[in-house]
Amino acid sequence: MKYIFFLYALFFLLPENTTAQNKKEPWSAAQLMPTQTLAEQINKKQDGHLLILSVGPDALIKGSVNMGPAHDPEQLKKLKSYLKKVPRSREVVLYCGCCPFDRCPNIRPAFQTLTDMGFKKAWLLNIPKNIKTDWLDKQYPVNEE
Amino acid sequence: MFRILVILIMCLVTGNSMGQSLPLKTGQTAPEISLPRLDGSPFSLRSMQGRLVLIDFWASWCAPCVKEQPELKALYEKFAPAVKQQKFDIVGVSLDKDKRTWGKTVARLKIHWTQVSDLKFWKSQAANDYGIEELPFNVLVNGQNKIVAINLHGKALEAFIQQYLEQPAE
Repeated sequence: MKYIFFLYALFFLLPENTTAQNKKEPWSAAQLMPTQTLAEQINKKQDGHLLILSVGPDALIKGSVNMGPAHDPEQLKKLKSYLKKVPRSREVVLYCGCCPFDRCPNIRPAFQTLTDMGFKKAWLLNIPKNIKTDWLDKQYPVNEE
Repeated sequence: MFRILVILIMCLVTGNSMGQSLPLKTGQTAPEISLPRLDGSPFSLRSMQGRLVLIDFWASWCAPCVKEQPELKALYEKFAPAVKQQKFDIVGVSLDKDKRTWGKTVARLKIHWTQVSDLKFWKSQAANDYGIEELPFNVLVNGQNKIVAINLHGKALEAFIQQYLEQPAE
């Protein structure tokens, strides 16, 4: 009985079960864009069809526009007003990179806004750890200072 | 069998909470931090020599860091006598980029300890010198400028400071 209890506890302690993956997120797995995919498109100058928006600390990714941290209602308002002028058919990539998804306060309100406004081609950049480890350290393209 | 399962569970729990590679080691000399304070005046970590210093790397854009500030504030208040006697202090090193946002957050959280930053985000010299991979991150430095603890939080941090300050003077 003791072993059964510990095996049960073990199952719930597995990393996959402690992350936000099991929660209902505003994005689907298919809407997660790998960082490598975006970096390659930017490097090959094949990113013209993309609108890349930072909803976190800084618009570090090359060609991205800074919307400010979306957990702040003022910044979220700014994002909404910016998106009003964007055709709904446009492919939009959102990213934050402050911290892992389960601790990020910005991506959920931002992605929900995007979806609610009718953007069908919405992407969330899949940054598992943070923008430093998953973008800067990989020497992916960044905006000039 | 029972012991193996317990060890396995402990490893998994530890693995979840410590996913960070740590290039720093306890016992080594703390890299110098020479950065401007929020008011623009210069700050040097060396000037804190003789006290136990908690170096808190944070940023206003880092939600877990902001969440931790009230805990640090409670620590600062708890150890206020040691602060007064220059035995303990906290230094906040921010990886912010925008001075206004940084300042507003410090004011909102009513942080009274020293705050410094070069406003260079992840390109900050201090972040590089301390090999920081993610925030929040902290280091405890003793009176001889040696690193005595790395990335302690919550009760573990409080207990370490308490124990350190209770030790007879070196």
